[in-house]
Amino acid sequence: MSARDTGSDHLLPVQHLRPGDHAFVSYGNDEVRWEVVTAFVRLGLARGEKVLVLPCPGVPEEEVLARLDFPSRSTVSARARGQLVVSSMRELIRPDSEFTAARQMSRLGAETERATAEGYAGLRAFIDMGWVAALGTDVGAMERRETGAQALFTGRPYTEICAYDRRRFDRAVVSAMERAHPRALLERLGSLRSLRGPDGVLCFIGEADAANQDTFTRSLEIALAHTAALRRLTVDLTRLHFLSVGCTVRLLTLTRAAAGHDLVEVRCDRGQRRMLRRLGGGTVPRLVLTEVVRAW
Amino acid sequence: MVNPDPAGPAEVSAEELGRRLLQRRFTARLLPQLRLLVEECAAREGLCEPRRGEFVLAVDEIAGNAVEHAGGSGRLLLRRVGDELECRISDAGPGFSEAVIPELLPGLDGATKGRGLWLARLVADRFAVAAGAPGTGMTGAVVTLAVRLR
Repeated sequence: MSARDTGSDHLLPVQHLRPGDHAFVSYGNDEVRWEVVTAFVRLGLARGEKVLVLPCPGVPEEEVLARLDFPSRSTVSARARGQLVVSSMRELIRPDSEFTAARQMSRLGAETERATAEGYAGLRAFIDMGWVAALGTDVGAMERRETGAQALFTGRPYTEICAYDRRRFDRAVVSAMERAHPRALLERLGSLRSLRGPDGVLCFIGEADAANQDTFTRSLEIALAHTAALRRLTVDLTRLHFLSVGCTVRLLTLTRAAAGHDLVEVRCDRGQRRMLRRLGGGTVPRLVLTEVVRAW
Repeated sequence: MVNPDPAGPAEVSAEELGRRLLQRRFTARLLPQLRLLVEECAAREGLCEPRRGEFVLAVDEIAGNAVEHAGGSGRLLLRRVGDELECRISDAGPGFSEAVIPELLPGLDGATKGRGLWLARLVADRFAVAAGAPGTGMTGAVVTLAVRLR
Protein backbone atom coordinates (compact mmCIF):
# COMPACT_ATOMS: atom_id res chain seq x y z
CA MET A 1 0.00 0.00 0.00
CA SER A 2 1.35 3.46 -0.75
CA ALA A 3 0.19 6.99 -0.11
CA ARG A 4 1.31 10.55 -0.64
CA ASP A 5 2.83 12.39 2.33
CA THR A 6 0.15 15.00 2.75
CA GLY A 7 0.30 15.30 6.52
CA SER A 8 1.63 18.27 8.43
CA ASP A 9 5.36 17.85 8.71
CA HIS A 10 6.48 21.07 10.35
CA LEU A 11 8.97 19.52 12.77
CA LEU A 12 11.85 17.56 11.29
CA PRO A 13 15.31 16.23 12.12
CA VAL A 14 17.97 18.30 10.36
CA GLN A 15 19.00 15.30 8.26
CA HIS A 16 15.62 15.40 6.50
CA LEU A 17 16.01 18.89 5.06
CA ARG A 18 15.84 19.01 1.30
CA PRO A 19 16.23 21.74 -1.34
CA GLY A 20 13.39 24.24 -1.03
CA ASP A 21 13.13 23.91 2.75
CA HIS A 22 13.15 27.00 4.96
CA ALA A 23 13.66 25.92 8.55
CA PHE A 24 13.72 27.38 12.03
CA VAL A 25 15.85 26.17 14.89
CA SER A 26 16.57 27.66 18.29
CA TYR A 27 19.22 26.99 20.86
CA GLY A 28 19.88 28.01 24.42
CA ASN A 29 23.52 27.27 25.07
CA ASP A 30 26.86 27.47 23.35
CA GLU A 31 27.46 23.73 23.05
CA VAL A 32 24.12 22.64 21.61
CA ARG A 33 24.20 25.43 19.02
CA TRP A 34 26.83 23.57 17.00
CA GLU A 35 25.01 20.26 16.59
CA VAL A 36 22.50 21.28 13.92
CA VAL A 37 24.89 23.46 11.95
CA THR A 38 27.56 20.75 11.89
CA ALA A 39 25.11 18.15 10.59
CA PHE A 40 23.68 20.60 8.06
CA VAL A 41 27.10 21.57 6.73
CA ARG A 42 28.58 18.08 6.58
CA LEU A 43 25.59 16.45 4.92
CA GLY A 44 25.27 19.34 2.46
CA LEU A 45 28.89 19.01 1.41
CA ALA A 46 28.54 15.25 1.08
CA ARG A 47 25.48 15.72 -1.14
CA GLY A 48 27.39 18.03 -3.46
CA GLU A 49 25.75 21.30 -2.42
CA LYS A 50 27.52 24.58 -1.85
CA VAL A 51 27.28 25.64 1.80
CA LEU A 52 27.19 29.15 3.19
CA VAL A 53 27.54 29.65 6.93
CA LEU A 54 26.75 32.99 8.51
CA PRO A 55 27.60 32.43 12.18
CA CYS A 56 26.65 34.68 15.03
CA PRO A 57 28.70 37.88 14.82
CA GLY A 58 31.25 37.86 17.57
CA VAL A 59 32.00 34.16 17.40
CA PRO A 60 35.60 33.91 16.17
CA GLU A 61 35.93 32.32 12.74
CA GLU A 62 38.58 29.97 14.15
CA GLU A 63 36.00 28.59 16.57
CA VAL A 64 33.43 28.17 13.80
CA LEU A 65 35.89 26.25 11.65
CA ALA A 66 37.14 24.16 14.54
CA ARG A 67 33.57 23.19 15.48
CA LEU A 68 32.62 22.32 11.91
CA ASP A 69 35.76 20.26 11.48
CA PHE A 70 35.56 18.27 14.70
CA PRO A 71 36.36 15.39 14.93
CA SER A 72 37.51 14.86 11.34
CA ARG A 73 38.84 17.57 9.09
CA SER A 74 36.53 16.77 6.22
CA THR A 75 35.57 20.38 5.63
CA VAL A 76 39.09 21.64 5.01
CA SER A 77 39.23 20.71 1.34
CA ALA A 78 35.68 22.03 0.84
CA ARG A 79 36.77 25.42 2.11
CA ALA A 80 39.84 25.36 -0.08
CA ARG A 81 37.82 24.77 -3.25
CA GLY A 82 35.08 27.23 -2.30
CA GLN A 83 32.32 24.71 -1.63
CA LEU A 84 32.11 25.86 1.99
CA VAL A 85 32.05 29.59 2.66
CA VAL A 86 31.98 31.17 6.10
CA SER A 87 30.81 34.76 5.87
CA SER A 88 28.51 37.28 7.53
CA MET A 89 25.29 39.10 6.77
CA ARG A 90 27.26 42.31 6.58
CA GLU A 91 29.43 40.76 3.89
CA LEU A 92 26.46 39.26 2.06
CA ILE A 93 24.72 42.61 1.56
CA ARG A 94 27.89 44.56 0.81
CA PRO A 95 28.46 47.12 -0.70
CA ASP A 96 25.19 48.17 0.94
CA SER A 97 25.27 48.50 4.69
CA GLU A 98 21.60 48.54 5.56
CA PHE A 99 19.59 45.33 5.64
CA THR A 100 16.45 45.11 3.59
CA ALA A 101 14.60 41.89 2.94
CA ALA A 102 14.65 42.48 -0.81
CA ARG A 103 18.38 43.13 -0.83
CA GLN A 104 19.22 40.05 1.20
CA MET A 105 16.96 37.76 -0.82
CA SER A 106 18.33 39.12 -4.06
CA ARG A 107 21.86 38.28 -2.92
CA LEU A 108 20.90 34.81 -1.76
CA GLY A 109 19.08 34.19 -5.04
CA ALA A 110 22.18 35.24 -6.95
CA GLU A 111 24.34 32.98 -4.78
CA THR A 112 22.02 30.07 -5.51
CA GLU A 113 22.33 30.67 -9.25
CA ARG A 114 26.07 30.98 -8.93
CA ALA A 115 26.28 27.71 -7.00
CA THR A 116 24.41 25.80 -9.70
CA ALA A 117 26.47 27.50 -12.42
CA GLU A 118 29.59 26.29 -10.61
CA GLY A 119 28.27 22.75 -10.82
CA TYR A 120 26.93 22.27 -7.32
CA ALA A 121 23.61 20.57 -6.68
CA GLY A 122 22.34 23.71 -4.96
CA LEU A 123 23.01 26.12 -2.13
CA ARG A 124 22.31 25.70 1.54
CA ALA A 125 22.73 28.50 4.04
CA PHE A 126 22.92 28.46 7.81
CA ILE A 127 22.11 31.90 9.19
CA ASP A 128 22.50 32.66 12.86
CA MET A 129 20.06 35.46 13.53
CA GLY A 130 22.53 37.23 15.79
CA TRP A 131 23.13 39.45 12.76
CA VAL A 132 19.87 41.30 13.52
CA ALA A 133 21.33 43.05 16.56
CA ALA A 134 24.78 43.34 15.02
CA LEU A 135 23.43 45.31 12.07
CA GLY A 136 20.99 47.27 14.22
CA THR A 137 18.12 45.90 12.18
CA ASP A 138 14.56 46.31 13.34
CA VAL A 139 13.10 42.99 14.49
CA GLY A 140 9.97 43.80 12.49
CA ALA A 141 12.00 43.96 9.29
CA MET A 142 13.52 40.60 10.11
CA GLU A 143 10.07 39.13 10.77
CA ARG A 144 8.76 40.43 7.45
CA ARG A 145 11.65 38.81 5.65
CA GLU A 146 11.08 35.49 7.37
CA THR A 147 7.40 35.41 6.53
CA GLY A 148 7.77 36.65 2.97
CA ALA A 149 10.66 34.65 1.61
CA GLN A 150 8.75 32.00 -0.35
CA ALA A 151 10.09 33.15 -3.70
CA LEU A 152 13.60 32.34 -2.58
CA PHE A 153 12.68 28.69 -2.09
CA THR A 154 9.92 27.78 -4.50
CA GLY A 155 11.34 25.74 -7.33
CA ARG A 156 14.92 26.58 -6.38
CA PRO A 157 17.67 24.32 -5.03
CA TYR A 158 18.04 26.51 -1.97
CA THR A 159 17.81 25.38 1.66
CA GLU A 160 18.05 27.65 4.67
CA ILE A 161 18.20 27.32 8.43
CA CYS A 162 17.56 30.38 10.55
CA ALA A 163 18.96 29.84 14.05
CA TYR A 164 17.64 31.85 16.98
CA ASP A 165 19.53 32.13 20.26
CA ARG A 166 16.79 32.11 22.89
CA ARG A 167 18.99 34.24 25.12
CA ARG A 168 19.02 37.05 22.56
CA PHE A 169 15.43 37.16 21.35
CA ASP A 170 12.22 37.77 23.21
CA ARG A 171 10.32 34.53 23.80
CA ALA A 172 7.30 35.81 21.85
CA VAL A 173 9.51 36.60 18.85
CA VAL A 174 11.06 33.15 18.92
CA SER A 175 7.64 31.50 19.09
CA ALA A 176 6.32 33.65 16.27
CA MET A 177 9.33 32.84 14.12
CA GLU A 178 8.97 29.14 14.77
CA ARG A 179 5.41 29.34 13.51
CA ALA A 180 6.40 31.53 10.56
CA HIS A 181 8.83 29.02 9.11
CA PRO A 182 7.50 26.14 7.02
CA ARG A 183 9.86 23.80 8.88
CA ALA A 184 11.22 23.65 12.40
CA LEU A 185 14.12 21.46 13.45
CA LEU A 186 14.89 19.37 16.48
CA GLU A 187 17.54 21.20 18.44
CA ARG A 188 19.80 18.22 19.10
CA LEU A 189 21.13 15.21 17.28
CA GLY A 190 19.98 11.93 18.75
CA SER A 191 16.71 13.30 20.10
CA LEU A 192 13.27 11.80 19.71
CA ARG A 193 9.91 13.53 19.85
CA SER A 194 6.49 11.98 19.65
CA LEU A 195 3.38 13.91 18.69
CA ARG A 196 -0.28 12.93 18.65
CA GLY A 197 -1.99 14.62 15.73
CA PRO A 198 -5.60 15.81 15.83
CA ASP A 199 -6.48 12.72 13.82
CA GLY A 200 -4.99 10.56 16.57
CA VAL A 201 -1.93 9.58 14.55
CA LEU A 202 1.14 8.92 16.69
CA CYS A 203 4.09 10.51 14.93
CA PHE A 204 7.71 9.94 15.84
CA ILE A 205 10.31 12.54 14.87
CA GLY A 206 14.09 12.30 15.09
CA GLU A 207 16.13 9.27 16.04
CA ALA A 208 14.62 6.18 17.67
CA ASP A 209 17.89 4.71 18.86
CA ALA A 210 18.83 2.56 21.83
CA ALA A 211 19.01 5.57 24.14
CA ASN A 212 15.44 6.51 23.22
CA GLN A 213 13.99 3.01 23.25
CA ASP A 214 12.15 3.40 26.55
CA THR A 215 10.61 6.70 25.43
CA PHE A 216 9.60 5.13 22.12
CA THR A 217 8.01 2.18 23.91
CA ARG A 218 6.16 4.31 26.43
CA SER A 219 4.69 6.52 23.70
CA LEU A 220 3.44 3.46 21.87
CA GLU A 221 1.94 1.95 25.00
CA ILE A 222 0.12 5.17 25.84
CA ALA A 223 -1.15 5.55 22.28
CA LEU A 224 -2.42 1.99 22.26
CA ALA A 225 -4.20 2.57 25.57
CA HIS A 226 -5.77 5.79 24.31
CA THR A 227 -7.06 4.13 21.14
CA ALA A 228 -8.41 1.01 22.81
CA ALA A 229 -12.02 2.14 22.27
CA LEU A 230 -11.42 2.97 18.62
CA ARG A 231 -9.66 -0.38 18.14
CA ARG A 232 -7.23 1.16 15.65
CA LEU A 233 -4.03 3.18 15.77
CA THR A 234 -1.89 4.81 13.11
CA VAL A 235 1.85 5.21 13.77
CA ASP A 236 3.84 7.50 11.48
CA LEU A 237 7.57 6.72 11.25
CA THR A 238 8.33 8.84 8.19
CA ARG A 239 9.90 11.69 10.12
CA LEU A 240 12.37 9.39 11.83
CA HIS A 241 15.87 9.67 10.48
CA PHE A 242 16.98 6.61 12.40
CA LEU A 243 15.07 3.57 13.62
CA SER A 244 17.00 0.97 15.59
CA VAL A 245 16.40 -2.74 15.53
CA GLY A 246 15.38 -2.60 19.20
CA CYS A 247 12.69 0.04 18.62
CA THR A 248 11.41 -1.80 15.56
CA VAL A 249 11.05 -5.01 17.56
CA ARG A 250 9.23 -3.13 20.33
CA LEU A 251 6.77 -1.80 17.75
CA LEU A 252 6.18 -5.30 16.42
CA THR A 253 5.79 -6.98 19.80
CA LEU A 254 3.45 -4.31 21.15
CA THR A 255 1.33 -4.53 18.01
CA ARG A 256 1.20 -8.28 18.29
CA ALA A 257 0.10 -8.00 21.91
CA ALA A 258 -2.59 -5.40 21.16
CA ALA A 259 -5.33 -7.98 20.91
CA GLY A 260 -8.04 -5.37 21.48
CA HIS A 261 -7.13 -3.52 18.31
CA ASP A 262 -8.43 -4.45 14.89
CA LEU A 263 -5.74 -2.50 13.07
CA VAL A 264 -2.36 -0.91 13.68
CA GLU A 265 -1.30 0.97 10.58
CA VAL A 266 2.37 1.95 10.33
CA ARG A 267 3.28 4.66 7.84
CA CYS A 268 6.89 4.20 6.85
CA ASP A 269 9.44 4.82 4.14
CA ARG A 270 10.87 2.12 1.92
CA GLY A 271 13.85 1.33 4.15
CA GLN A 272 11.73 1.15 7.29
CA ARG A 273 9.23 -1.09 5.54
CA ARG A 274 11.99 -3.45 4.52
CA MET A 275 13.33 -3.58 8.09
CA LEU A 276 9.87 -4.17 9.58
CA ARG A 277 9.40 -7.07 7.19
CA ARG A 278 12.87 -8.50 7.83
CA LEU A 279 12.27 -8.45 11.57
CA GLY A 280 9.04 -10.38 11.34
CA GLY A 281 6.39 -7.80 10.48
CA GLY A 282 4.71 -10.25 8.14
CA THR A 283 3.82 -12.51 11.05
CA VAL A 284 2.09 -9.83 13.12
CA PRO A 285 -1.69 -9.88 12.86
CA ARG A 286 -3.51 -6.56 12.50
CA LEU A 287 -0.32 -4.82 11.33
CA VAL A 288 -0.61 -2.92 8.04
CA LEU A 289 2.45 -1.22 6.56
CA THR A 290 1.75 1.82 4.39
CA GLU A 291 4.75 3.00 2.42
CA VAL A 292 4.74 6.77 2.08
CA VAL A 293 6.18 8.31 -1.06
CA ARG A 294 7.62 11.62 -0.05
CA ALA A 295 6.94 14.70 -2.13
CA TRP A 296 10.66 15.51 -2.29
CA MET B 1 44.61 9.55 -2.24
CA VAL B 2 45.81 6.52 -0.36
CA ASN B 3 46.31 6.88 3.33
CA PRO B 4 48.19 3.78 4.48
CA ASP B 5 48.04 2.76 8.10
CA PRO B 6 51.56 3.28 9.51
CA ALA B 7 51.02 0.36 11.87
CA GLY B 8 50.35 -2.04 8.99
CA PRO B 9 52.90 -4.65 7.91
CA ALA B 10 55.25 -3.49 5.18
CA GLU B 11 54.30 -6.22 2.72
CA VAL B 12 50.63 -5.21 2.62
CA SER B 13 49.91 -2.94 -0.32
CA ALA B 14 48.44 0.49 0.15
CA GLU B 15 45.43 -0.58 -1.91
CA GLU B 16 44.68 -3.43 0.46
CA LEU B 17 44.96 -1.14 3.44
CA GLY B 18 42.47 1.20 1.85
CA ARG B 19 41.83 4.86 2.30
CA ARG B 20 40.97 5.86 5.84
CA LEU B 21 37.79 7.93 5.99
CA LEU B 22 37.10 8.12 9.70
CA GLN B 23 38.64 6.94 12.92
CA ARG B 24 36.80 7.57 16.14
CA ARG B 25 36.47 6.33 19.68
CA PHE B 26 32.89 6.25 20.88
CA THR B 27 30.72 5.86 23.94
CA ALA B 28 26.92 5.71 24.16
CA ARG B 29 26.73 9.50 24.30
CA LEU B 30 28.61 9.84 21.03
CA LEU B 31 26.56 7.38 18.98
CA PRO B 32 24.34 10.06 17.34
CA GLN B 33 27.43 11.93 16.22
CA LEU B 34 29.02 8.70 15.06
CA ARG B 35 25.98 7.92 12.89
CA LEU B 36 26.18 11.38 11.35
CA LEU B 37 29.86 10.99 10.52
CA VAL B 38 29.37 7.53 9.02
CA GLU B 39 26.42 8.77 6.97
CA GLU B 40 28.47 11.71 5.75
CA CYS B 41 31.34 9.47 4.66
CA ALA B 42 29.00 6.96 3.03
CA ALA B 43 27.26 9.70 1.07
CA ARG B 44 30.61 11.15 0.03
CA GLU B 45 31.72 7.75 -1.22
CA GLY B 46 28.56 7.40 -3.28
CA LEU B 47 26.59 4.84 -1.27
CA CYS B 48 22.97 5.54 -2.16
CA GLU B 49 19.77 5.04 -0.20
CA PRO B 50 18.40 2.68 0.99
CA ARG B 51 21.79 0.95 1.30
CA ARG B 52 23.29 3.94 3.06
CA GLY B 53 20.64 3.84 5.77
CA GLU B 54 21.13 0.10 6.17
CA PHE B 55 24.88 0.56 6.51
CA VAL B 56 24.47 3.25 9.19
CA LEU B 57 21.99 1.02 11.00
CA ALA B 58 24.39 -1.94 10.94
CA VAL B 59 27.26 0.20 12.23
CA ASP B 60 25.07 1.55 15.03
CA GLU B 61 23.96 -1.92 16.06
CA ILE B 62 27.55 -3.18 16.29
CA ALA B 63 28.75 -0.04 18.07
CA GLY B 64 25.81 -0.28 20.46
CA ASN B 65 26.70 -3.89 21.14
CA ALA B 66 30.22 -2.80 22.08
CA VAL B 67 28.87 -0.10 24.37
CA GLU B 68 26.48 -2.50 26.07
CA HIS B 69 28.69 -5.55 26.43
CA ALA B 70 32.28 -4.34 26.27
CA GLY B 71 32.76 -1.72 28.90
CA GLY B 72 30.87 1.20 27.43
CA SER B 73 33.14 2.19 24.59
CA GLY B 74 34.76 1.09 21.38
CA ARG B 75 36.72 2.27 18.38
CA LEU B 76 35.53 2.67 14.81
CA LEU B 77 37.64 2.68 11.68
CA LEU B 78 35.91 3.42 8.39
CA ARG B 79 37.80 2.86 5.17
CA ARG B 80 37.30 2.74 1.45
CA VAL B 81 38.81 -0.54 0.31
CA GLY B 82 38.54 -1.01 -3.43
CA ASP B 83 34.86 -0.88 -4.31
CA GLU B 84 33.78 -1.45 -0.73
CA LEU B 85 33.03 0.71 2.23
CA GLU B 86 34.44 -1.14 5.21
CA CYS B 87 33.77 -0.48 8.87
CA ARG B 88 35.80 -2.10 11.61
CA ILE B 89 34.62 -1.80 15.20
CA SER B 90 36.86 -3.00 17.99
CA ASP B 91 36.31 -3.15 21.70
CA ALA B 92 38.08 -4.30 24.85
CA GLY B 93 35.29 -6.47 26.21
CA PRO B 94 35.20 -10.21 26.86
CA GLY B 95 35.03 -10.96 23.14
CA PHE B 96 32.54 -13.09 21.26
CA SER B 97 32.37 -15.25 18.18
CA GLU B 98 30.07 -15.15 15.19
CA ALA B 99 28.47 -18.31 16.55
CA VAL B 100 26.45 -16.25 19.03
CA ILE B 101 24.58 -14.60 16.16
CA PRO B 102 21.46 -16.63 15.43
CA GLU B 103 21.30 -18.23 12.00
CA LEU B 104 17.61 -17.53 11.75
CA LEU B 105 15.84 -14.50 13.06
CA PRO B 106 14.49 -15.21 16.55
CA GLY B 107 10.70 -15.13 16.68
CA LEU B 108 9.05 -12.16 18.31
CA ASP B 109 8.29 -14.26 21.37
CA GLY B 110 11.79 -15.77 21.42
CA ALA B 111 15.13 -14.50 22.62
CA THR B 112 15.40 -10.74 22.72
CA LYS B 113 19.13 -10.63 22.05
CA GLY B 114 21.08 -10.99 18.86
CA ARG B 115 18.70 -9.34 16.41
CA GLY B 116 20.93 -6.30 15.89
CA LEU B 117 23.96 -8.37 14.94
CA TRP B 118 21.73 -10.68 12.89
CA LEU B 119 20.47 -7.74 10.85
CA ALA B 120 23.96 -6.23 10.54
CA ARG B 121 25.23 -9.49 9.05
CA LEU B 122 22.20 -9.71 6.79
CA VAL B 123 22.68 -6.28 5.21
CA ALA B 124 26.48 -6.56 4.87
CA ASP B 125 28.17 -7.88 1.76
CA ARG B 126 31.06 -8.96 3.95
CA PHE B 127 30.92 -9.63 7.69
CA ALA B 128 33.36 -11.15 10.15
CA VAL B 129 33.99 -11.34 13.88
CA ALA B 130 37.53 -11.83 15.16
CA ALA B 131 39.33 -11.77 18.45
CA GLY B 132 40.84 -8.44 19.38
CA ALA B 133 44.54 -7.81 18.87
CA PRO B 134 45.60 -11.44 18.31
CA GLY B 135 48.92 -12.35 19.86
CA THR B 136 48.86 -9.55 22.40
CA GLY B 137 46.93 -11.34 25.09
CA MET B 138 44.31 -8.58 24.96
CA THR B 139 40.66 -9.50 25.07
CA GLY B 140 38.02 -7.93 22.93
CA ALA B 141 36.36 -8.36 19.58
CA VAL B 142 36.80 -6.86 16.14
CA VAL B 143 33.70 -6.81 13.97
CA THR B 144 34.18 -6.00 10.30
CA LEU B 145 31.36 -5.26 7.92
CA ALA B 146 31.57 -4.01 4.39
CA VAL B 147 29.14 -3.05 1.65
CA ARG B 148 29.80 -2.76 -2.05
CA LEU B 149 29.56 0.71 -3.46
CA ARG B 150 28.79 -0.45 -7.00
